[in-house]
Parts: sequence; structure tokens; C-alpha cells
Amino acid sequence: MKRNALTRRGFLATGAGGVLATSLGLHPALAAGTVNLQLSWLHSVQFGGSYIAKSKGYWSDQGLDVSLTPGGPNAPVEPPVVSGTALVGISAADYTAAAVAQGAPFKIIAVAMQKNPFAIASLPANPVREPKDLEGKKIGMALANTPVLKALCTLNDVNFDAIEVVPTQYDAAPLVAGQVDCLLCWATDLPVAMTMKGLDPVTMLMADFGYAVQSQTYIATEDSLANSRKELVELLRGEIRGWADYHKDTDAAAELTVKMFPDAGLDLETQKLQAKRQVPLMFSDVTDEHGFGWFTDESIAENIKTLALLDKPVTADLWDRSILEEIHAG
Amino acid sequence: MILSPARWRRPRTDWLRSIATALVALIAWEALARALAGTYLIAGPLEIASYLSDHAGLILRATGWTALAAAGGYVIGNLTAIALAAVAILIPGAARLISSLALIVFCLPLVATGPILRVLWGPGLGPQVTLAALAVYFTTFLPLQVGLRAAPPNWFDLVRSYGRGGWTALVEVRAMAALPYLIAGLQIAAPAAFLGALVGEFTGAERGMGVLTIRAMRSLDVAGTWSLATIAAAVSMLAHAGIGWLWRRLDDAPPPLILASLPDARTDRRWATRLNLILVVLVVIALWWLSMEFAGLNRFFAKRPDDIWAFLVTASGAADHRTTLFAALGQTLSLALPGYALGLALGLGLAIALLMLPALARAIMPLAVALRAIPIVITAPLVVVAMGRGATGTITITAVMTFFPTFIACYQGLKRTPAALIDLFESYAATRWERLTLVQFPAMLPAFFSAARMAVPAAILATTTAEWLATGHGIGGLMALTASTSDYGMLWSSVVLLALVAVAAYAAIERIERAVLRRYGAEQLVR
Amino acid sequence: MLVERGSDIGPGITCEGLSRIFGTGAARIDALAPTDLQLDGGRTTAFVGPSGCGKSTLLRLIAGLDPPSAGRVRIGAETPLEMRRRAGLSVAFQDAALLPWRSVRGNIALARKLARMTPDPAKVDDLIATVGLAGFEDRRPADLSGGMRQRAAIARCLATDPQLLLLDEPFGAVDELTRARLNQELPALWQARGVTAVMITHSISEAVRIADRVVVLSPRPARVVADIAVPLPHPREKGPALDALIEEVGAALARHAPAPPPARIAS
Repeated sequence: MKRNALTRRGFLATGAGGVLATSLGLHPALAAGTVNLQLSWLHSVQFGGSYIAKSKGYWSDQGLDVSLTPGGPNAPVEPPVVSGTALVGISAADYTAAAVAQGAPFKIIAVAMQKNPFAIASLPANPVREPKDLEGKKIGMALANTPVLKALCTLNDVNFDAIEVVPTQYDAAPLVAGQVDCLLCWATDLPVAMTMKGLDPVTMLMADFGYAVQSQTYIATEDSLANSRKELVELLRGEIRGWADYHKDTDAAAELTVKMFPDAGLDLETQKLQAKRQVPLMFSDVTDEHGFGWFTDESIAENIKTLALLDKPVTADLWDRSILEEIHAG
Repeated sequence: MILSPARWRRPRTDWLRSIATALVALIAWEALARALAGTYLIAGPLEIASYLSDHAGLILRATGWTALAAAGGYVIGNLTAIALAAVAILIPGAARLISSLALIVFCLPLVATGPILRVLWGPGLGPQVTLAALAVYFTTFLPLQVGLRAAPPNWFDLVRSYGRGGWTALVEVRAMAALPYLIAGLQIAAPAAFLGALVGEFTGAERGMGVLTIRAMRSLDVAGTWSLATIAAAVSMLAHAGIGWLWRRLDDAPPPLILASLPDARTDRRWATRLNLILVVLVVIALWWLSMEFAGLNRFFAKRPDDIWAFLVTASGAADHRTTLFAALGQTLSLALPGYALGLALGLGLAIALLMLPALARAIMPLAVALRAIPIVITAPLVVVAMGRGATGTITITAVMTFFPTFIACYQGLKRTPAALIDLFESYAATRWERLTLVQFPAMLPAFFSAARMAVPAAILATTTAEWLATGHGIGGLMALTASTSDYGMLWSSVVLLALVAVAAYAAIERIERAVLRRYGAEQLVR
Repeated sequence: MLVERGSDIGPGITCEGLSRIFGTGAARIDALAPTDLQLDGGRTTAFVGPSGCGKSTLLRLIAGLDPPSAGRVRIGAETPLEMRRRAGLSVAFQDAALLPWRSVRGNIALARKLARMTPDPAKVDDLIATVGLAGFEDRRPADLSGGMRQRAAIARCLATDPQLLLLDEPFGAVDELTRARLNQELPALWQARGVTAVMITHSISEAVRIADRVVVLSPRPARVVADIAVPLPHPREKGPALDALIEEVGAALARHAPAPPPARIAS
């Protein structure tokens, strides 16, 4: 009996030092009427429309209190959405497809970036203007993105083996320093940083060459779609109004972002340029007609095709337009 | 045994020499930065100074937030360590279990714990504080374990002779005997807490130095990156030096560095060892399961032991999973092992070289102590920039992480050879080489092994962090990838495997240590 | 048996104005007042004095392990360093200073190695037997009692056939019985060979029993307050002559003893 007691005390004491202590009684409960929107990255004008919605009261007008949670390099979006900590997360079609394949009950309920922001950035002296130019080049990218490059090659009949992949951090320095010929990156960040430094990068948007993967998608669980429809509708309604304002004046969105997050280390001019650069990715004839966030059946079909190339087979069930339709009906 | 050198306050000339060394280093740095201008790789001291003065407010606030989280974690982690060590002393039967669990938790990779902590804590400082606490508790717990036993047996006999028990012995004897060891732990913990807080910010923080670092690296802001690295290094060094200073105010003796592992009275009782192993495994599985269930974490990302068993053994793709996992582990180990060995060899080598060249040592030591304090997350990208993204870069980072603690421990160990033994050699006018090989080197071995043991988790952390942040190879890269593909089965399997490898490596070093010290340090094993 | 250099007489020692000061200002400690001493070669000199008076300092100065603050030491015609370089002297340290990872045998053999002499296992074992450690050859210092460690250290001292032996409380931790035996047997080992020996002890009877000359030192800073010859043949047995000398040394020590603190014992 004594032995037993000792073990139990040791057990509890150790637990107190370990992870258990941090997890005991720590269910992040939110006040009624408050929902979390889990962003996919650190605060920046990338989420400018949401900041406008927040600051102009597009959510509070509807009685909804939205808290915007930043992401980071070690902050995947899917866990908080699955666990209900966040009502909606900003993901991307390929990430969502992977999560669904792992059993997460997600639906894409709206799409911020109709066009995927992935791009190949290079310098004018040695430019990559179309996929064919990649052959014989050294490309710097995260190895994790290899399927993305492979898909682009397949879509454009480029010999993948003729490209030398150099694993790099997500950083423009290797290109500028001449360690690589081009970079796989988002059109809206590293090229913007290079432009701000007085360089004049050539940016080849992969979406212009058949790489159809929606990005900055709004995801929610099936449970939320069934039981929290009201909040979802209110949240997206606010988003749509916020992003409409953003479209009208990107400079104002950039200024608001810098003002709202003085500790984020944001540079106003960089934010203004980034805000402008993401307009063509987010707004198109489709959004002009249906409003921000809309996606067509045609877009879904293209995504299914590209996702299959990325080894992430999905069906149209991944998408759910009912929230957007409800907003437009109302 | 703790041996205090006769003089521990350094004379002023040594400080002047250190300042001179630092100046030379600064000038070389500036020159290198100027030579590489336009490549966006290195920012010189002047550029950093101007950046800091332009962004003083921002940097100050960010440093404040990160330091706040680090301080919180530092206090919590160290109090936990003290409580654990006290329990391990008061309940001797639980000591081994507690040590094993403490080691396992310490070996959990940051990449994996971060997202879970964020889900648990929600927005705010929670994950940063927790990761800081996790980063410090072990380096305090370990020396304390030794320190609490570092009193002569007759002191305990004294307590017993007055009919008092373990508690009195803990308060009256052990606590005081352990104090220098506690300080040594607290000193190492200060930079570690800062590192934990920085990495914690990668899990989605609103503000802090980690946030700014990510931003600066992505916007080609070399001055910003280097400024942040400089500040992080400075804060870590100040914390490290501050605790040292505080200790010198309290006591004249320097904190001990000879941290031998606990002599195990029951090594010959193999069944006890096996029983403990089984107990540890059971307790770990139970803790893992219970904590997940208690916190109500979704199985999608918070896998349970049976999920991992299925993923690696019974599921249809299990063989493929194992292949992927072990291939990645092999890749990681093929870099971690050479880096670790290189770090140990360089640390030992430089310590010996400096012992032979005392004038140089006096100039370099304070710098080395300071450099030890620079957090890995900051150094990793810089080393990769300098050494390239291939194997060399990763090996270098691992070697650097292993090098500093080994170097300092070995140097102090060499210097702490009992004065009487040095006198003996002097009386025969023995050569410096004889003195080194016959006395100082064997006398240093306990310090070397304690550093080698502590460097195991550090080396694995360094390699996986480099893979995670820079190369994308190996198990670090695999873990980063699994987060984007929601392959949490793979992530948890990696965590389990890495923790197992770390614990096994630690135990292996401990075995070698015991064997060597049985030969070379019977008296030096702390009772 | 161990007599190898019986024909040579060990060197004499000359100390001229030798003094040693530690620290400066308020922390200044005068360990040894300026001292002139002439110690004859081939003789054993014992220094006695109150604890902490600076006896060990004097010994370290003679060995050249500490630099003097003033004055100089000559051993024969050589400096202490020259003497050490050719392994002409051995020091038996107060705390034995055995290497913890070497056996008794290994520790004793080490001295010959350091002195660049050929290994001589037979001699080593012989010495081990002489100091009464037979059977403990392969034990580590940690396994030995304090007295046994000191005996091992003395055996180590003798292993290099030094011309000068410097012994710092060599029997301090040895038990009374063994001590009496060692006092009889060990000095013969060096005295018969004409080795010069300097011994520090706090035991008056030991000093008188072993040494040819007893130098009494005052409390710190150490000064020579009495210099007493012991003109008795070896081996010395208990008797009136010995007792008289013991009394004489004791009286000299007592004259210069530090004043006792005022008695504060109530009741």
C-alpha cells in the first residue's frame, strides 16, 4: 500500500512539472457572442479587409464580437478550427484538402484569393517569365513545396528533372545574393520586399499558368455549419463589407493595418504595395458580379484537377456555398 | 567535490583585455559586413546601431513583451524544478521516475508542442510562458539533483543524531549545499528561457521579438534581422551575467560546474532498472493519454498513444509511415551526430589550448561565456547564411550549440584541478603536458561528461530547428511539413521517436560516463 | 636495501632575508617575517610552531612552490627550481595529494615517471611494504583511511631517491600506534642515506624524536624564536634526555604562545 501511495505522489508531482500542468483546466472558453477568426499568418495587410470590418464595426453592428488571432510559422490553422477554439480559419484549398483527408470535417465556405498567390520570382538579368524558363535554373524553395513545383511542371510540360531545387528558408536573400536563379514564393511578400529595396523582380504568377488552387479560403467545421450558421453568416457578411472597402482604397487599408498593430513591425509603404498587389488575386469579374468571397463551379472543377496533381484528391463536397448564398439572399 | 579556485574575482586588466578583444571582433564584423554589402547577408555594427536608434520604441516594446514571457516561464520553470528535486529527495523511491519523466518532457521538440499549447491557451502569452518554462526546468533540475546530495554524509548523520528526519536534512543541510548548484542552473536557464519565449511567439503571437524576427527575415530587412539577433543576444548575456553578479554578491565561491551524474547504488540490480523502465513507459503513456483527455483535445491533431500505435504498426500504410519516418530520422542523425561530435571535440580542444595559453584565455573566456547565451533560433539563420544550406550549415549549427557549453565546462573543469595535485607536479617540475594529461584532463572528465549529457537534447534541438527553419530536410523538416499537410499522426510519431532517441542517447552517454568515471573519478562522483 | 646514495650528503639549505606577504592593504597578511636560516646538509630539521603560524609557507618557499616576497633560497648551490627540475627534492603534502583515479602503486610509480626515472616496480612494492600498505597496492585513495593515504604519500616521496625531503605534517592523520612505528622506521630510510630533510609538525615529541635540530617558530608572522639541537643518536628511545629536550621545546613554544582569550565561562 505504501509503495502505491509513493508512486502516486511521484506521478502527480511529475505531472505538475510537465505538460499536464499547463493543460489542466485550460479550456479556452469564449464569452457568448464572441468568435475567433484564426488568421493564417502574422498580422499584416494580407488580412486588411478583416481589420476594416473590425474597426468600422461591421461585426459589432450585427451583435457579433470577432477576435482576430494571428498565425505564425509554428501555428497551423486547422487545430484551433477543429477544436472549436476558432469558428473560422483562413486556410488554403490544398491545406484544407489534406486536413479533410486526415479526417477533419472541414468545408470551404468562402474564398478570399481566387487566384493562388504562388509565384516564381527572379531578377531581370536572368528572368523566369514562363514555366519553360525554369529548365536549367536553380530554384530556391522550401522542400515541402516540391509537389507545387511538380504540379506546375506537369501542367505546362516542363521537365521537372531539369530544375535544380535548392532548399532555402522563406527569404529573398539567396536570390539577391546570387545563390539561386529564382524563388518559389508568394507574389505578395518577397517580391514586394525586393521592390521596396529598389530591386525590380520579375514575378511569374503560377495561377496564370494553370495552377488553380484557391488560397486564403475560409474554412469551418460541418458542426459549425449545422449549429452556428448565424455566427458564420454574420462573420462572412462583415468580411465581405470589409473587403469591399479594402478594394476601394487599399492605401487606407494599409494605414489602418499599421495603426492597429504598432508592435507588428510593419512598414507602411511596404504594406501599401502589398495591399495593391493582392487586389488582382482577390477581385475579378466573378467577385464584381457576386461579391467578395464567391467561387464558381468552374473554379471548383479547376481546383479539383490541380489538387489531384498535388496528390490531394477531393470532390466538390469540400466546398459549401450555402453561407454565401444565404448572405446574398438576405 | 566542489573546489574553489583561490581567486575568482578577475583583476581589472582582464576586463580591459576582454574589451579589447570585443573591439577587435566588432571591427572585423564591420569590415566583413562592408565587404559583403549588397548581398543582404550581414549587417555591421554601425548599421545595427542606426537601425536600433530609428526603431527604438518598437524594439523596446517587443523586447519587453518577450522578456516578460521569458521571466514568467523562468520563474515557473525553476520553481517546478525546485519542487521536483525536493520531491525526488524526500521520496527516494520516486527519484528515478521523476528524473526519467523530466528528461522525456525536456526532449519533446518545440515544433510539436507549440501548436498544441496555442490551442490550449488561446491568444496571449500562454504558449510563450509555457515553452520558456519547459526550456528551463531541466537545466535547473539536473544540477539541483546533484547539489542536494552534495553534502558530506556526516552532516546527515549529525541531523539524524538529533533524531530529526529527511525534512530537517533538506532544509538545514541539503538546501544550503545545493545553493551553488541552483545558481549554476539558474544561470544557464536565463538564456534558455528567452529562447523558449521566442519560439513560443512562432505559434501565433501578437507581438514580441519572435514576431519581428520572422517579419524582418521575410522582408529582406538584414539590418532588422541582425539588430534583433543582437538584442536577443544582449538580453540573454545580461541575464546570464546578472545572475552571476548576484551570486558573487551573496557568496565568494563561484557556482560549481562539476556536475557528475547521480551514482546509482542499484546498477547491479538489473531487474530494478527494468522495472523502472516499464514504470516510466506506463506513466508516460498514462500522462499522455490523461492530459489529452483532460484538456479535451481533438484527436485530429492531439493524437493518443493508440493512434500512434495504429499509425506505425497496425494501420494499412504503417510500413510506409515507418519508412518515411526512419529515413527522415536517419537524415537527421547523419547530421546531428557529426555536429555533436565536432562540437564536443572543438569545445574540449579549445579548452585545452586556452589552458596552455593563459593570456589568451583571459581575453576570450568572458566572450565565450557571453556567446553561450545567444539563443539558437537567432543563430540558426545566421549560421545558415554563412555556411550554406547543405549539410555543412546544419552540422555547424549543431556543433556551435554543443561547442559553447562543452568548452566552458571543460575549461572550468581543467582549471578546477585540486591545487594540491598541481603542487605535487610542480614539486617535480613536471611539464605542462604532463600536468595536462596526468592530472588536469582526468580531473576535467566529470565536467566534460556532464556537458556532453546536457548537450544531447541541445544538439537534437539544434539540428531539428535548422531543418525546420532552414533546410527542410530530416525529421525537423518532416515535422514542419506535417503541420501543413495536417499529417498529425506523422508529427506525433516523430515526436515519440525523437524523444526516444534523445533519451537513449542521454542514457548511453551516462553509461559511458559511469564507466569512465569509475576508472577516473571514483572520488569525484558526487554522493 | 634502499640505500643507494649513502655516500653523498644531501645539500644544505640557505635562506637569506626570506619573507612572504600575502595580499595588500587591509587584507595584507605577513606570513613569514624576514628570516635568515642555515640548514645543514644530510640533517633533519623540524619546524614546530602554533597552527597557522606560517610553517607551511616556509616549506613552500624552500620548495619554490611559492615565490618569496623578499630574500632568496639556495639549496646547495642551486635554486629550488633547478633542484626540482632534476628531481632532487620531494614534497610530502599535508593532504597527501594522491591522484584519485590511480591506485596506491600507480601513485607511487607516478613520482618516478614525473622525475623522468626508469620504472622500478620492485622498489615501489618495497616502499609500499615499508609504509605498511602491503595488500593495498591496487586500492584507490578513496578506499584508504586518512593515515593510509599519508603513508602512501611518504612512500611516493621516497620513490625518487631525493636528496632533499620536504615533509608537511607527514604523520598528521596517522593513528598513534602506527605513528610511533613510522617515527622509528621511516627516518632511518633517509637519514642513513644522508638525505637532507625538512619536516613540519605540531607534535613536539615527534620533532624531538626524528630531527637533529628543532626550530621553534612564533605565531604569525613566523619568526625563529628558538633553535634547539638534538644531539642524540638514532634510533632514539624514551628516556630522560629525550624528555628534557621535549620540555625545552615545549617551554620555548609556550613562551611565545598567543595570549589566551579571556575566560568567559560562567558557573
